[in-house]
Amino acid sequence: MTLLATAVERVRGFGSVPLVERGDAPLALVLPGLFLFSAFLLFPLLYLFYLSFTDAAPQTLFAGEQQFIGFENYVNLLTTWRFWNSLGVTWLFLVTSVLLKIAVGIGMALVLDHHLVRGKRLLRAMVIVPLALPPIFVIAVWRGMFSTARYGVINQAMIAVGLEPVAWLQRRWMAFLAYNVTEVWLATPFMFIIIVSALQSVPEELHDAAKVDGAGYLSRFVHVTLPSIKRPVWFASILTAAASFQQFLIPFVFNQGGPARRNELILVHGYREAFAFNEYGQGAAIMIMALLFIGAFMWLNVKKGRLAEGIHNQ
Amino acid sequence: MSAGSRIAERVQSDAVRVVRSPARAYRGVLFAIDDVREGRTTPKELLAYLLATVAATCVVFLYLFPVYWVLTASLSGDAALLSTDGIGVDPNEFSLDAYSWVLFESRFVGYLGNSVRVVIPTMLIAFSVIVPASYALSRRAFLGRTKILYMYVLFTQVGAGLGIAGLIAIYAMFAHAGLTNNHLVLAFLYAAMAVPFNTWLLKTYMDSIPVSYEEAALIDGAPRWRIIWEIIIPLSKPGLAVILIFTFLAGWNEFIIAQTVLRPENYTLPVGLYMLVGEFSTPWARFSAFALLFASPVVILYFLAQRYVESGLSFGGMEG
Repeated sequence: MTLLATAVERVRGFGSVPLVERGDAPLALVLPGLFLFSAFLLFPLLYLFYLSFTDAAPQTLFAGEQQFIGFENYVNLLTTWRFWNSLGVTWLFLVTSVLLKIAVGIGMALVLDHHLVRGKRLLRAMVIVPLALPPIFVIAVWRGMFSTARYGVINQAMIAVGLEPVAWLQRRWMAFLAYNVTEVWLATPFMFIIIVSALQSVPEELHDAAKVDGAGYLSRFVHVTLPSIKRPVWFASILTAAASFQQFLIPFVFNQGGPARRNELILVHGYREAFAFNEYGQGAAIMIMALLFIGAFMWLNVKKGRLAEGIHNQ
Repeated sequence: MSAGSRIAERVQSDAVRVVRSPARAYRGVLFAIDDVREGRTTPKELLAYLLATVAATCVVFLYLFPVYWVLTASLSGDAALLSTDGIGVDPNEFSLDAYSWVLFESRFVGYLGNSVRVVIPTMLIAFSVIVPASYALSRRAFLGRTKILYMYVLFTQVGAGLGIAGLIAIYAMFAHAGLTNNHLVLAFLYAAMAVPFNTWLLKTYMDSIPVSYEEAALIDGAPRWRIIWEIIIPLSKPGLAVILIFTFLAGWNEFIIAQTVLRPENYTLPVGLYMLVGEFSTPWARFSAFALLFASPVVILYFLAQRYVESGLSFGGMEG
């Protein structure tokens, strides 16, 4: 929903900010929110940064006896195979899921925007139904569908068409595939909305002109449609890439980033290091590394998405 | 009151449209046949329309299969879906057993109580800090205004990820202060996480309310608080409805922080759902019924408010 709202705002643009009067008293109205925000979001991030330089673990931390150990956690990280594996899987997941999201989004949009299709409004309304569903609900349902132990529906379907059932969540790349399917399913309505509205703004004359020149469907798609929808798709991809990078619930709910910790996306890796293996300091260091990338996405979103427009208008 | 009746009106018109849709489709088919008879379309063209529409419908249904599955599974009774034959369920075997299990035998009601104990304070706290701040950011210039806005916008994009990244520190802080396993503290945290996005959203919405109303009231000598109470708040209703929903969702949907901070007897509904999917002894019917009862308030709220929310969002972004 946040993504959608952002997209809507981005598409509509920002107007000017009318200001009735000046003075510093209004700061008092902002302070409670700012205090809450700082106490529960900013301060923990600073504290996290501090923890990443300590040997914090439950027994030391809760007694206040954690030791400052400098860069040891970071040195540990950069020299362990597991961290690089997690970072690699996260980037791989980002690339595969974003490519799939674009492909599925464009595919669905082309099918449902085709001039021969009747009842487009109803079909489009149905595609965005998943926006109304809580993510944890969707992920739990997909987890159930991929289940191996209790005749999950996907394995039932595979048996029905004569294939062998697959241990989706116990095999590394099968689990990775399952993460991708779920992530793409979750992001499809967002991509679909952006791409359909982009498709509708492609001038009909361009297609007509291409047809007159004898261009087939494929070459019209490559030379007319794609260039016209490139910018919105690029914008949507940046937003959704950030979401993929921060994906936590899918691996966690599916199989805790397993099997054998091999599919731990970066946030799951940090979380599990802290809460499943009691290495708070090490977990904090992983989270700080993740934050560096998240910060880069934040910067990219504001820069490319021009999200911060409207702040300076007075 | 007016917001409520407006929503009711829209829901009614939507319902009427849905009810009439078979008739509309039937008329469309008649027209199409007529067109072929009169020679305005060739049968070949008609076939193309038909095939394209059927193909598009298939794509949509394939996409929505998980929703269909969870719905039918919840109605399938305990025995069904544990067999390997077929994916569908015989409609004659539909039963509400699973729902009665969820409501009367499972821990659903206890989890629900915990969720309510988190969600209501979340909404109250969030509202009490977001509304004044949005007003000030929209209407006044003051020291640090641009910096605060900039920070909020940055955080809107990555709030979820930052929440999880900071969870180690948050848990350590809570544990130090003896505040884990406390619904009210969790509500403060959720409210804090809702602040950046919702403040920004309501602020942009308020920006779209013309200043001239306030200027007129000022000239008439109205005090500041009356202007806020009688002009800004009533005109912001769609924006307020939007952030009401988002702050509700902030508490209702959140899973990982609740699972980390709370103890089992205080788990909220999302955690309960997660526990259930991990239990191999739970039949799909029961799991699905639980999941649907958890999701249904969100879905109902979303569809009731959808058009209202959309108008709130587009208004907030300001056309032109």
